[in-house]
Amino acid sequence: MHYTIRQGHWPSDVAAPVQAVDDIRLPETAAVVGADFPGLRPAFAVEHGDEVAAGQVLFTDRKHSQIAHVAPCAGTVTQIEYGPRRTLSACVIKRAARTTPRESMPLDDSTDASVRDVLQSRGMWPALRTRPFGRTPAPDARPDAIFVNAVHGTGAADPAPVLQTQTEIFAKGAAVLTMLTDGLVHICQSKGAPLCPITNRIRVATFGGTMAAALAGTHIDRVYPVQSGRQVWTIGYQDVIAIGYLFVTGQYSADRVVAISGPLVKSPKPVQTILGARIADIAADNMIGGANPVFRSGAPQGGREAMFLGRFDTQITAAARATSKAQAARRSWFSTTQDALIPTASLERAIAPRVLPVPLMRALSVGDSETARRLGCLALIEEDVAILSRLCTSGADYGVLLRQVLDELMEDAA
Amino acid sequence: MIAARPFRTNLAGVTLAQVAALVAPSVVTGLADPVGYALVLATALLTVWFWEGLFAAVRKRSPGGHGITTALIVSILAPSDHALWQLALALSLGVVLAELVFGGRGFGFLSPAVVAASLLVFSFPEVALVPSTTNVAIATIPGAVLLLFLGLISWRVLLSTAVGTATFLVLTVDVLDAPTVAAAIAFCLVFLVCDPTAASATNPGRWIYGLLAGGLIVLFSGDPIPSTEGIVFAALIASIFAPLIDHLVVLAYAKRWKIADA
Repeated sequence: MHYTIRQGHWPSDVAAPVQAVDDIRLPETAAVVGADFPGLRPAFAVEHGDEVAAGQVLFTDRKHSQIAHVAPCAGTVTQIEYGPRRTLSACVIKRAARTTPRESMPLDDSTDASVRDVLQSRGMWPALRTRPFGRTPAPDARPDAIFVNAVHGTGAADPAPVLQTQTEIFAKGAAVLTMLTDGLVHICQSKGAPLCPITNRIRVATFGGTMAAALAGTHIDRVYPVQSGRQVWTIGYQDVIAIGYLFVTGQYSADRVVAISGPLVKSPKPVQTILGARIADIAADNMIGGANPVFRSGAPQGGREAMFLGRFDTQITAAARATSKAQAARRSWFSTTQDALIPTASLERAIAPRVLPVPLMRALSVGDSETARRLGCLALIEEDVAILSRLCTSGADYGVLLRQVLDELMEDAA
Repeated sequence: MIAARPFRTNLAGVTLAQVAALVAPSVVTGLADPVGYALVLATALLTVWFWEGLFAAVRKRSPGGHGITTALIVSILAPSDHALWQLALALSLGVVLAELVFGGRGFGFLSPAVVAASLLVFSFPEVALVPSTTNVAIATIPGAVLLLFLGLISWRVLLSTAVGTATFLVLTVDVLDAPTVAAAIAFCLVFLVCDPTAASATNPGRWIYGLLAGGLIVLFSGDPIPSTEGIVFAALIASIFAPLIDHLVVLAYAKRWKIADA
């Protein structure tokens, strides 16, 4: 089934990076960052200065001690930082050049319980996110469907060449995912040959059109909407490869192909690196001479300023820093005075999930969670509404407002 | 269909676009009676900026100057041969009640120009608003195209209001003089009925809002050719109903998920 997405931003001004992944860049340091898991309170298994191996447990979730977060690379723990209320801020690891080869040993994927146990204890569980709410699923939750996002996003690396050499591992990962749900696993991809063999549990849907076609929220809305009380999970295609790799070889893989682009980049291109890589380390030598860029992790529209690559991000944008005083002053002026929302036609066309944008934006602005729920905000997470923040005259950050409303609804649901 | 690239907007940009759209109709009106128009415009501008400045000073914010569009619209509608204090009074009430008490441009739910023009007619029965001329209607077209392109007016409201007006006229009068009717309503349709802050904000709501406004235009004019007063009142009543229409659309929309569930 092919879906053409007409709402949203047509990709025209972002240069597509060269698609061959020929560049492996390993960072000096890598980190697990709390901003990817809001509200996560860690129980650390390591201490400052400890030597860790790749895939070794760094900490577990205090609420669900089964769910482990692991080190993306071998090295030394150099920094453990807490945020407010003992949440995680960052756990930074200085990468060591050594690698510890371990024997390959396939893992048991015959039952739901064993799959869950492996994913949770070996650090792959946090790759999954629930919809509604966009959080790490509970250890015993069973979704109605799982969506794998393998759509070629604008400015991101094309999944097809990344998968080319790993189709079997990818198929293995998808097969493992079918153990977790009673429903279907939907592989959402761009037009072309199916990335994964279709079975009675694995379906392929193709998406094309605007930049919104690469958002999981769009896929869910078109294929299996969640507003009416369903829960689905989402996962990126590179994490499916990692899951397949984990079950085939018994080893954790933190490999990640990331596209580096933006106005200050010499040549936009995908590079292979690891999860949580320090962005400056992997992007520095690709910058225009003398540039002092701000790095954003995530899609050009929804990304956030970051030091380390986000857990769910496959794109890095290098943008110019606001240097002049006038620029800084203007920005601070905009952030302090909030203007009104003028309902323009561009807002109507901005987001692909079938919600009424202007009433939703009004409900989010005043924090009316009940109306927002009626308007279908459960189908959305921050990345879906990022475009609204850019287009709206009010200057409000709808991602933040949506998260507050979702948190409130999540508390009510619990 | 134009695949218009969404661009970053702010309120100043919106006001700028609306002023640009209003230039041609203002010039046409001004050329007809330069002195009278200049006096009306000066009074209108002084009035709106005085209140904006006052509210900005009390709220310790920088004044936006967005009232310029209100002043331009009202000075095209208001007659130039009446006492200027009447205009200043009506405009003061319009700007303060419809806009500034809510927090400024875009926070209210009515168009300040509509409220000011309505109050002018309500309060001073001897005042008659200026009937729109063919020249003003023609001068409106480039501005309307600009606003449509920028998404600041909705083609749904434009079309459904035109359809509503035409339907009710066909039902009530014997001969429909379409060009004259179009000339009479063009300016008010684009700048009053289609005002993005006053109109409905959902697409289904926009159709209902436009049909309602079109019907009310015929009802309040009571004449084969709609009067400016009739259109202003129609815009006022329709925009009072706009939030209700949106609310009903939202309720109907929420039903969809319940049905999908069952």
